[in-house]
Amino acid sequence: MSALRFAEGLLKAPASRLLSYLLLAVFAVLIVAPEWVAPQSPIAVDPGRALQPPSAAHWFGTDDVGRDLFARVVHATRITLGLVAGALLLSAILGGVLGLISGFAGGLLDQTLARLVDVILTFPPIIAGVVITGVLGPGADNLVLALAIVYLPLFFRIARSGAMAENARTYVEAARSLGFGEASILMRQVAPNVLPLILMQYVLLFPLALQIEAALGFLGLGVAPPTPDWGSILEQGKNFILVAWWISLWPGLFLLASSFSVMVLGRQVQERLGSG
Amino acid sequence: MAALVSSLIVFSLMRAVPGDIVGQMLGQTSDPTATEALRGFFGLDRPLYAQFTEWLIDVLRGDLGRSWYQGQAVTSLVSEAFLVTLQIAVLTLIVSTLIGVPLGVLAGIAEGSKIDGLIRAFNLIGLSAPVFWVGLMLLVGASALFSWSPPFTYSSPSENLSDNFEIIILPILSLGALQAAAYSHFVRECMVSELRRDYIRAALAKGLSPAVVYFKHALRNILVPLVTFMGLILIQILGGTVVIESLFSIPGLGRLILSGIQGRDYPVVQGALLFVVFVAITVNFLVDAAYGLIDPRLRK
Repeated sequence: MSALRFAEGLLKAPASRLLSYLLLAVFAVLIVAPEWVAPQSPIAVDPGRALQPPSAAHWFGTDDVGRDLFARVVHATRITLGLVAGALLLSAILGGVLGLISGFAGGLLDQTLARLVDVILTFPPIIAGVVITGVLGPGADNLVLALAIVYLPLFFRIARSGAMAENARTYVEAARSLGFGEASILMRQVAPNVLPLILMQYVLLFPLALQIEAALGFLGLGVAPPTPDWGSILEQGKNFILVAWWISLWPGLFLLASSFSVMVLGRQVQERLGSG
Repeated sequence: MAALVSSLIVFSLMRAVPGDIVGQMLGQTSDPTATEALRGFFGLDRPLYAQFTEWLIDVLRGDLGRSWYQGQAVTSLVSEAFLVTLQIAVLTLIVSTLIGVPLGVLAGIAEGSKIDGLIRAFNLIGLSAPVFWVGLMLLVGASALFSWSPPFTYSSPSENLSDNFEIIILPILSLGALQAAAYSHFVRECMVSELRRDYIRAALAKGLSPAVVYFKHALRNILVPLVTFMGLILIQILGGTVVIESLFSIPGLGRLILSGIQGRDYPVVQGALLFVVFVAITVNFLVDAAYGLIDPRLRK
């Protein structure tokens, strides 16, 4: 019965939603088993077959050192999306915890933290990202750290306002009058009620963070080659754009598709949680 | 205040990490005497707070210092680069407004129709596409269709207007198309919720022509969020130019920051970032000031 209702819901869903589910399923397969989809090595170099256009042997063509682009783009899925997911998770945990404490405690601590966090927000995200990765140097670790710092204020703000709203509600007052400690009220009562807000923020920020990750990779500030990453492949393709457009086409399309599907998912989460 | 704290953070961040300009100038084979002498020359041997106060006092006097590489005054480097970026940003804003707002209004009025579906598809694709990738694809398209590609040496509009146009057209198209999508998406949402309100139904019911209702009543009511959004878009465009400038070799603010960081040219990076914060604050201020002009109820 429930399977039937699920199928019925799918049929009624708008085309963009169906497409997004389909793409998410494809990306899930590419993340779990890239070698199953693209058995060729994403890093094996073969100068003899450099800059070949798409063909039956190399579906997406080859790059300037003869690596198979289909394998590179497919294997990059896990790396690129994993980096963004990890960075945002770090950001959500740090920003969420700080925001919860700040909003719940209020007072001077709250004022100070909120001001400090606002400083990060005065820079456009890409510029903050460029400064942090530029100063720390390229590499996956620094990229994750940079993205985490750039998006921390947005998690902080939502957790803070959530905690402030919850703090004003009667159940918190009731818990206080029953003699529960502040830490226990925050952890057991307030935090679970703020969590959905943080989750929603995570899904909504994912496509934005993905764009910044790709842009930093494109500027040469991301994952070091030969590790496959969509942004880095685009950086490499930039120099051959007029002779080998296929290097740049595919990673961009994958970025577009993943951004699109997560964005549509985010809209839906937002509608479900009823705050959109 | 925010500008002060952020410049302090930028200042310490740049000095906190290993590798300074002296290391880059001398490379691996540096002898300690030369290193010391050069560090002394750039003032890097002095305590951090002393370096910062000295810089801050100069900034308040309107002096951002000199580039450690080119020896030029940072103020002139930043203002030259900013003019380049500003031209692109303003033209992009105009292009995206002219495309995005009508599309959004149209989609909002025709909610649920085929046209609405098409515009929404454009919006979603535009919101998901990386701007530099769109730039790359435009390069490929222009070269395939018109066998034309932009020159990669910059000329300013005062030097040569047509050369300047050839350089900035693709950056503006790629940035503009994406921001138009963001615009159109936002305007559509505003329009849809505005058209659901009672006064619209009443106006239509009493026989006012739909054109008057849509354009005079509904559009006027969404002007305030629209202007707020315009400020956001402008800041987004300024950020987006960082990547686009690097792709099309345009000597704007983004490229200045990028090369400054890579060369550890502290005065340039500090000056340029301070300027970015200043621009962001100014844009927000202008947006606030515009509210009063649009909506008399918001005048204090």
